[in-house]
Amino acid sequence: MDSFISTFHIDWKILIAQAINFGIVFLLIYFFALKPLKKVMGERTKSIEGGISDAKNNAIILEKTKQEYNDIVAKARNEAHTIFQEGKKEAENKKAEMLEIAQKEVETIISNGKKILETEKVKMVEEAKKEIVSLVVLATEKLLESHKDESFEKKAVDQIKKI
Amino acid sequence: MNDNNNLQNQIIKEQAETHEEISHESTLYAEPIGHIGSFAITNSLFTTWIVVIIILIITISLKIKIKQIPKGIQNVFEMIIEGAMNLADQVTGSKKITAKVFPLAFSIFMFVLINNWLGILPFGGFGIIETTEHGKAFIPFIRSGTADINTTLALGIMSVIGANIFGILSIGAWKMFNKYVNLKALGDIFKKVRKEPTILISAPIVFFVGILELVGEFAKVASLSFRLFGNVFAGEVLLMSMSAILAYALPLPFMALEIFVGFIQAFIFAILTLVYFTIASQDHDEHENEDNHSKGKHVHKEQVAV
Repeated sequence: MDSFISTFHIDWKILIAQAINFGIVFLLIYFFALKPLKKVMGERTKSIEGGISDAKNNAIILEKTKQEYNDIVAKARNEAHTIFQEGKKEAENKKAEMLEIAQKEVETIISNGKKILETEKVKMVEEAKKEIVSLVVLATEKLLESHKDESFEKKAVDQIKKI
Repeated sequence: MNDNNNLQNQIIKEQAETHEEISHESTLYAEPIGHIGSFAITNSLFTTWIVVIIILIITISLKIKIKQIPKGIQNVFEMIIEGAMNLADQVTGSKKITAKVFPLAFSIFMFVLINNWLGILPFGGFGIIETTEHGKAFIPFIRSGTADINTTLALGIMSVIGANIFGILSIGAWKMFNKYVNLKALGDIFKKVRKEPTILISAPIVFFVGILELVGEFAKVASLSFRLFGNVFAGEVLLMSMSAILAYALPLPFMALEIFVGFIQAFIFAILTLVYFTIASQDHDEHENEDNHSKGKHVHKEQVAV
């Protein structure tokens, strides 16, 4: 043992000094490198995991939202189609109604026109008659004036009376 | 007449001294380059102090730059630590054990690695000339810390004692004691001799195996320390020999080889430390019970199958 110690110059003081050196290295590496790095890496892992789960949740929400959007759009389309169809029907009904009213109005206007024309016609005939009568009277008067005798007047009065 | 002879002898001695060559041999032990009182500062110890300073600079610069989003040196360290932890997980087979032992194993790796590599650096020209009984000798300032048995022995002892302390903390002092001095096995002779007479043979064997394990702990220290010391010291001798044969060109490939050897030796030391810690934290009895339990299950299954 002594020869072994003397051959390799084993010195317990240096042995302890080297152990202390290693102890310092261990403390340096543990407190300045491993511990803070592990902490940061752990925090990062947590935040990444959180981010991934958030992304997954967001993807689910997005999918749901898309689904809802599609449903709403489809519903809106259906409603729009229904509204359009109803509007179309209503418009057609209105059109038909209006056409009917217009037709009726036209018919009324035409019938009124006819009535007016007929009354006008009657009026004109009456006026014509009146004019003719007055003309006949005038002509008769002139004729009577030219044939001023009592017999003729009598004859004429009688004839008129007969009329 | 005598005075003349003495004077002549002195002159001859002085002339011999002036023409004396300075020897530079690689010794098996680290050489002292200074003293603090009675404490001799060897070149290996000096190199180890440099290693401590290097690690201090690296770790402090890392600590300052640590951020949530890694950059530069932090990226490199994170990559190394993550890879090393995965490897340690494979060795220990348990993340719990890795979390506890990894800082020590990693520190050993860094300490040994930088010590190994510092010894390879071509700073051999810096040193002191000391007059010894064999003449003048050149003592370099830098000698790898691991090329001194004192360093490797200290590391080996710390590793093995640390493993045993870890074992005591993990499985308890009594179980750890029984690993080496298996009193339980001897006690089982009285308990089970009627049921199993073969225990009269097996229990003393188990007890002797425990004693062998105790001897094995010393062998672990020896193997750890001498493997590392032998490899690094042989490397330094090899490089010196190659430089003596053909300086500059010839040592280059051997230097590359020594860089690799330095890494491998640091790796082996760290991995063995991990293995020793893992073994120490495992209870033999539990394994035996588990084995028996699984065997029992197997037999039961076979019986059911029949």
